Amino acid sequence: MTELLWYITAALAIGSGLGVVMLRMPLYSALSLVLHLFTMAAMFAFLDAHFLATTQIIVYAGAIMVLVIFVIMLLSLEGTEKRPSIFLIGIAGAAAFGLLYMMAPAIRRTFPMTGGSLQGDVGTIGKSLYTDYIFSFEIASLLIMVAIVGAVVLAKRIKKNAT
Amino acid sequence: MIWFILIVKVLIVFQIALGLASVCVWVERKGSALIQDRIGANRAGAFFYTDNIFLKPVFIVVRLLGVLGVINTLLCDAVKALFKEDFVPKGTSNFIHSLAPFMGVFPVFLAFSLIPFAPDFVIAGITIRPQVASLNAGVLFIFAMASMAVYGATIAGWCGNNKFSLLGGLRSAAQMISYELALGISLVAMVVLYGTLDLYDMVVAQTKLVGGFLPAWGVFTQPVAFIIFFVAGMAETKRAPFDLPESESELVAGYFTEYSGMKFLLFWLGEFAEIALLAALMVLMFFGGWDIPYVTLPATWVGALIGHLVFMGKITFFCVLQIVIRWTLPRFRYDQLMHLGWKILLPLSMANLIVTAVLKLAF
Repeated sequence: MTELLWYITAALAIGSGLGVVMLRMPLYSALSLVLHLFTMAAMFAFLDAHFLATTQIIVYAGAIMVLVIFVIMLLSLEGTEKRPSIFLIGIAGAAAFGLLYMMAPAIRRTFPMTGGSLQGDVGTIGKSLYTDYIFSFEIASLLIMVAIVGAVVLAKRIKKNAT
Repeated sequence: MIWFILIVKVLIVFQIALGLASVCVWVERKGSALIQDRIGANRAGAFFYTDNIFLKPVFIVVRLLGVLGVINTLLCDAVKALFKEDFVPKGTSNFIHSLAPFMGVFPVFLAFSLIPFAPDFVIAGITIRPQVASLNAGVLFIFAMASMAVYGATIAGWCGNNKFSLLGGLRSAAQMISYELALGISLVAMVVLYGTLDLYDMVVAQTKLVGGFLPAWGVFTQPVAFIIFFVAGMAETKRAPFDLPESESELVAGYFTEYSGMKFLLFWLGEFAEIALLAALMVLMFFGGWDIPYVTLPATWVGALIGHLVFMGKITFFCVLQIVIRWTLPRFRYDQLMHLGWKILLPLSMANLIVTAVLKLAF
């Protein structure tokens, strides 16, 4: 049963991933990216990493993608992108397929499909974040802080010029 | 057996969510009439009459329901919406137009799967927890679902293909993102206090007494977090005084201007399910869930039933309270809304979190 659900989720993930690059309306691409992130969260859930699954939804599907859709709607982007020639698409597709084909055995060996082999509960993740990876964690939060301050400064400067 | 129990649980919880939402619809219609000194819906079904002696008791019940307006608000309106023309505006996609109401409703009902509706009980040697899924991410999952509910309104606004709808959709997205922060941080304070993410364990932690007489309910230990959670939660449900996304005086009907029939009703259903969800969360985290102060419920099905009734009673109280607030207070201005969200609730919730963490470390 779980395996069947896993295959359905995997098919959805691949389909929505293709949708992101192949759909022509920007909003549809964004929506299929939301679906893709959702299926990724479902995959985490299959690995019993509930916390990772939830944070995946909160951070990516719930916050970042809302902002992306917000921007698409505000700028009211239309599907104006021209498709590249069939020849280029063929070459890129073949290259990607070849690469994946070579990687497939390694992926199958290293990544478990289902089951609780990844320790993904809140306690474990919290402990390793605040003990083993405390330095990278703090550096990341510092980077985000700098980015926020930078964004505020940029937004303010634009306002001054306009008035 | 496990699958059977799970399916029964899913059915029951879905029924509870739907039932609460429809009770809310009725209270909204009749309650608003009471508040505005009207009579409200009282005609449909009120004059049913039969000479058949066996059908008489049934018809008496129907007449009673008709006078109370239940038939009008729950049955007639649903039938009317089902048979209405389903209009899709020109220049937009039919698929996305139909998808939007579902994206608004589906996460709310999914979030109900994390709500425990009664204490554990033992039946035929099996301990049953009346909760569909017990994830160790617990309350975070509900928060994730709340953040997914933004899409419904936003996409609906885009599908309207006119400026009023779009403005409504953008407003709803901005409002929900802004208030999600305060909501989440007040939630984190509760998580720090109880030391768990699981809603069931939170209720268990509240069954104790503080100082020997006061029940350890969240509202007594964390009053600030309760106020923030209530206000931010009301803003998340997008109802007055926070109904800027659909403000009738400026935006026709906001994001669902171009929706009719059953799709419109789905938005309504989602809204009332959100009210019920918010009430359930408040009861679980701040009002002790099924806990009756100074009373310990037995771990049998009788105890579970009593607990369930107490829990539902508390939820109903908070649903009615939200509806009364919605019909009492006028709408905010948009700058007031953003001011309240970013400059009052967010710093307050952060201060509350820091104070809670420090106190938790100290004691």
